[in-house]
Amino acid sequence: MSTQDERARRQLIDLAAAFYDQFDQGEVPEMTLPTRTKSNIEYDEDSGVWVYGDRTSTRSANSVRGARKLLKATYTIDFLARQLEEGRSSTLRELYYLSESWDSDEAAFADQDESNQLIEDLEIVSDVTREDFHMRPEESGATLMGPLELREQTRRGEREIHCQKDVGEGGYQIPNNPDTIDFLDHDIEFILCVETGGMRDRLVENGFDTDYNALIVHLKGQPARATRRITKRLHDELDVPVVVFTDGDPWSYRIYGSVAYGSIKSAHLSEYLATPEADFVGIQPEDIVEYDLPTDPLADSDVNALESELDDPRFTTDYWKEQIELQLDIGKKAEQQALASRGLDFVTDEYLPERLSEMGVL
Amino acid sequence: MTSFQSTLGEDGGIAEELAENQRAISIAEFFEKNKHMLGFDSGARGLVTAVKEAVDNALDATEEAGIAPDIYVEIAEADDYYRLIVEDNGPGITKEQIPRVFGKLLYGSRFHAREQSRGQQGIGISAAVLYSQLTSGKPAKITSRTRGSADAQYFELVVDTDDNEPEIRNEQTTSWDRPHGTRIELEMEANMRARAQLHDYIKHTAVVNPHARVELREPGLDEPLKFERGTDTLPDETEEIRPHPHGVELGTLLKMLEATESYSVSGFLQEEFTRVGNKTSTKVCNRFRDRHFGREMAWGTPAPHDEADIEDALIDAVANKSAAATDWFAARVEETVGDRERISHHELVEIVGNLADAAEAEFDETFGETVRENAVDAAWAECTRTDLLTTTLYERIDNATSTRKDDATVQGVAERLADKFAATDDPRHRATRDELVAYVDRSADRIEEATEATFGDTARENVVEACWAIMQTVPDDLPKVKTVADDRDTASELLEAMRATDILAPPTDCLSPITADLVEAGLRKEFDADFYAAATRDAEVHGGDPFIVEAGIAYGGELESDGSANVMRFANRVPLVYQRGACAITDVVKDIGWRNYGLDQPGGRGLPSGPAVVMVHVASTNVPFTSESKDAVANVPTIEDEIELAIREAARELKSYLNRRRSLEKRRRKQEVLGRILPEMADKLAAVTGQERPNIDGALGRIMNNVLVERTVEEGAVTLAVRNHSERKEELDVTDIVDQEPTAVSDGASVVDLDDEWFVQWSPSVSAGETAQLTYEVSDGDGATFDVDVEGIEGEKLTVDT
Repeated sequence: MSTQDERARRQLIDLAAAFYDQFDQGEVPEMTLPTRTKSNIEYDEDSGVWVYGDRTSTRSANSVRGARKLLKATYTIDFLARQLEEGRSSTLRELYYLSESWDSDEAAFADQDESNQLIEDLEIVSDVTREDFHMRPEESGATLMGPLELREQTRRGEREIHCQKDVGEGGYQIPNNPDTIDFLDHDIEFILCVETGGMRDRLVENGFDTDYNALIVHLKGQPARATRRITKRLHDELDVPVVVFTDGDPWSYRIYGSVAYGSIKSAHLSEYLATPEADFVGIQPEDIVEYDLPTDPLADSDVNALESELDDPRFTTDYWKEQIELQLDIGKKAEQQALASRGLDFVTDEYLPERLSEMGVL
Repeated sequence: MTSFQSTLGEDGGIAEELAENQRAISIAEFFEKNKHMLGFDSGARGLVTAVKEAVDNALDATEEAGIAPDIYVEIAEADDYYRLIVEDNGPGITKEQIPRVFGKLLYGSRFHAREQSRGQQGIGISAAVLYSQLTSGKPAKITSRTRGSADAQYFELVVDTDDNEPEIRNEQTTSWDRPHGTRIELEMEANMRARAQLHDYIKHTAVVNPHARVELREPGLDEPLKFERGTDTLPDETEEIRPHPHGVELGTLLKMLEATESYSVSGFLQEEFTRVGNKTSTKVCNRFRDRHFGREMAWGTPAPHDEADIEDALIDAVANKSAAATDWFAARVEETVGDRERISHHELVEIVGNLADAAEAEFDETFGETVRENAVDAAWAECTRTDLLTTTLYERIDNATSTRKDDATVQGVAERLADKFAATDDPRHRATRDELVAYVDRSADRIEEATEATFGDTARENVVEACWAIMQTVPDDLPKVKTVADDRDTASELLEAMRATDILAPPTDCLSPITADLVEAGLRKEFDADFYAAATRDAEVHGGDPFIVEAGIAYGGELESDGSANVMRFANRVPLVYQRGACAITDVVKDIGWRNYGLDQPGGRGLPSGPAVVMVHVASTNVPFTSESKDAVANVPTIEDEIELAIREAARELKSYLNRRRSLEKRRRKQEVLGRILPEMADKLAAVTGQERPNIDGALGRIMNNVLVERTVEEGAVTLAVRNHSERKEELDVTDIVDQEPTAVSDGASVVDLDDEWFVQWSPSVSAGETAQLTYEVSDGDGATFDVDVEGIEGEKLTVDT
C-alpha cells in the first residue's frame, strides 16, 4: 500500500473508531458535516474560491433516517478500507450495486444519488478525496484538443501523447484521475472550455485550435471532477487563461460557475477543482439581443433557476446581476448552435475573435 | 267524498245509513289491525318484540322486589309454530291479577307513575299474548308463584278482543320448583330471520343490566347463550315523583284541576306538583294574577306645585262628617299619598281604608262604605289628572328609549299612552301585559303617522318593559280551583304562569342511571376490547321530566374492525334494536366529528368506522319515543344536547388513549428498526476497528428517551443503575429476585424472603437525565442468579440490560 493509500485507510478507520467510542460511552453516534446548500457557501479570500461556511448539519442515530445513514456509512467505510488494502478500485455505480450484496438489508443504498452523496460525506469528514479512496466515476468521456504534449500513467506504463498530433478527431480523453498526468510541452495561448459536443466539433472542424493555439476542453454538460481538475492544473501550471463557452441559459451559467467557483455539492474540494480566474465568453443574454439570435422562450423552471441564481452568492457580481436581469427581462434563451443562423463559420470567424478580443484574451 | 256530496240533496237519509255502520271498536280489535305500531308487524319481528316485552317485565318485576334478576328465555320449534318461554325469579303475581296483567291491554301500574321504568303503557305483554293467540290460536300459559306460597298458580288465557277482557280457558294450582317467579309460555307464528336482532337484544340487555343473569336458548344455538352477572349491586330503587310544573300540558292540567281535593290554586300547586312550596306557589299565583286580572299602573304622586289637590277634593267628597274629622282625614290622606313616589288604585284603597279607620277611632264618627268609596274616587281622580299620567309615562319612556329620540316624540307617545289608560272602562287603570303592548303599539303607530318620527320594535319593547316594571300585581283573590277547572282560558293563564316561573329542576331520585362505572363494567363484560370509557351526565329536564344520559365507548381488541362502529341504544335500560335510522341517538352519533377523536369517519360525517362500540343510555321518567313500539328516541333538542355531551365526554378519553397508543406505536416501530440497525452497525464497527462489539444499550436508551436498567456485579456487590433518558421524572418499582440472601441493601428497599428467593424491591423516583444506583451485596456474586422486574413504566419505554 502506498503511503497515500495508507493515510486514506487510516482516516477511514479513525472515523469508524469515533463511532465505536460514541457507542461505548453510551452516547448516540453522530457525524457532523457542513450544510451543503447555497446558503452555506462563502467566498474564501485567500484561494478565491467558494467554500462551505460554518453551518453544519448532523447525521445522528437519533432518528431512524439518521441511523440508516450511519449504518450505510459504516458499511461503506468497511468496503473502502478493504479496497485500499487490496489495492483495487471501483466505480461509484459499482458501489451502489455492491451494497445490494451486503449482509444487512438496511445498509443497501436506495439509489445512486444516495451512495454518491455518502462518498462525498466521507470525503469531507475524512479529508481524503474520492480519488484517494480509489472510487471512480463512470468515464465522463470529456476530451482535450490542442497544442499540448503530456505524459499519462496508464496500466500499460507511461504514454507520451500530443493532444493534436497523436489523437484522432475525438481528441484526448481525460482520465479519471488527472493527477497521474505530467505536462511536457505546449503552445497554448488560452483554454476554451465548451459545453456542447456540437460546438466543440464545429470549432475543431473549423481548425480553431490550430488557428488560435487554443486548447479546446469539451465539458460535456456539467463537467466531471476530472475535467475541472485538469482545467485547474493546466491554468495553474502552464499559466494560461481559461474561458468558458456555453449555451445562453441559467443551467449553463451554473456550468460556468462550477468551473470557476466550485460547485455547491463539492465545495469542500473547491481549492482543488475550481479555477476562479476562468472567464465567461457566452452566450450572454446581451449577445442574444446584439446578434438577434434565434431563441426559445424561458420556461417557468428557467425563470425560477435565474431567480435562484440572483440569490446565489457565486453570482452576486454586477456583471451577472446585469446579465440575469436582462435575460429575465427579454424572457428568452439561446443555444450555442444558434450562432449557425449567421453561417457555419460565424462563430470562429466573428463571434469568438470579437468576444475574446473584448475580454483581452486575444 | 264527492259521490256522497252529490247525492246529499236528493237523499237526506245518508247520514243515518252511515251511522248504522259506525260502532265502537275495542282496543284489542284496534291492535289486531295496527299490530305494526306495537312492533308485531312480521313473524320475525313479532318474536323479538314478544321476548323484549316479557324480559322487560321480568327485569322490572325483579328489581322492584329487590331481587337480582335471573332470567331464562327459550325459543323452540313446536310443529308449525314457535314456542316462547320466559321465566323470571321475580316476586310472582297474585292469582287475581294474573288474568288482567296478561289478558287485558292497557292494564298496568306504570302509566300514571312518574318514575323511570322499562314498561310504561301496559300494552306490551298482553299485546304479545294477543299476537300469539291471533297467529296460533293457542292460549298463553302463565305460571306464577308468589314468595312463601306453597303452590304456583297456572292459567291458560286469551284476550277477548271484543271487550278487551281476559278470558280464562284453564286455571289450576300446580307445583313449581322456583320458590317465586313468573313463567309465560306463548306459541306463535314466527320465524328466526331476526336472529341477529334477538341476540343483540339479549346481549345489549346484559350490557346495561350487569346485575342480571340472562340465559337464551333457541334452535340455532348449539349451546345456550349465557350472560353472567357482572355485579351484585342492584340499581337504586327509584322514587315516584309528582309532575313538574314545567312538564304538564293544558289537558293534563285541567284533569288534575278536576281531580284535586285542594280548594285554592296555591294549595293545588303545592299539593299536586313537585318542587312547589309556599314561596314558589306565591310566585306562580302572582304571575297568574298578572295574567288573570292584569296589573295596576302606579302613577307618580302629585307634588305640592301640581294643580291636583287631594285634600280639597276629599273635603268636598266627604259629606256629613264633622269638619274636624273631615279635615284631619283629608290632610292625612294627602300627606300619606304625597310621601309615596307612586300610587296605584289598590294602594289608595288601602290608605283610605286605614285612615278612615283611624279617623273613626280618633273622632268617634263612622266612615261608612259609601264615604270611603267616594273618598277613593275623589282622591284617585286627583291622582290621575292627565298631566300626572303624562309626566309619569314621559319619565318612563324617556329612560327606556335612546337619547336620540327627540323630546316631542317622547312627549307625544306619553300623551297618547296616557289617553289609553284614561280611556279604559276600568278606572283602576289595570292592564295585562298583552293589553299594555297593544296600548304602546297604538300610541307609537299614531305618533309615527302624525310626525316623521320612527318608534321601532326595540323602543316599543323597552317602553313596555319599563311600564310593566312599575305596574303592580293586584291583591285580588284568585279564582278557586273549581272555577279555574271550568274555564279553559283561565286554566291556560295558570299554565302560562307556571311556565313563566323559574322552578327548581325535578328531583332525580326517580331516575336510575346505570352509572359510569357500571356502564364500563357492562362493556367490559360483553366486549373484549383494549379500551373502555364511560360518562354519566347530570340530570336535565325536558318538558318537566327529568332525564339522564350516559355514554360508553369500547375500542380495539377483538371488536370487529371492518365497517361502521356498533352503536348500541338504550332507553331506561331497554335495548333499542329497530329503527336505528330514525333515532335521535344515531343522529347525534352521526353528527359528531369523530376524526377529532381519532376514529375514522369516511367523508367526515356519519357513523365512525373501525373497531368501536358506542353505547348511549337515556333514562327518564318519560322517554320521548317516536312511536308506540318504542324503537327510537325522538329528536328532542335538550336530550340531543345531553347525548352529544355524554358521548363527547367519553370520546375525549378515547382520544387521549388513541393518541397515546399511536405515539407508543410509533415509538415501538422506531425502537424495532433501531434495534435492528444499531446492532448491525456495532458489529460492523467492531469488524472494521478490530475490537469487541461495543455496548449500544446506552445509546439506544438515550435515543428512545428510555429508562435503562443495567446490572453490574463485581465480586459480591450488585448494582442496578436506573438511568432515566426521558424528559420527565419517572417513578418506578424495581424488584430484583435473587437466590442468595442480600445484605447491605441500599436505602428505601424492602426485602421479602420467599423460599430461598429474595425479592428486593425499591421504588426509586428518577428525574430526567439522572441515574439512580440501587445496590446490595451477596456472598457469591458469580454463583448467584438474578431476575429483575420493572413496573410503573410502559414496556416500550424500558430497556433492561441485566
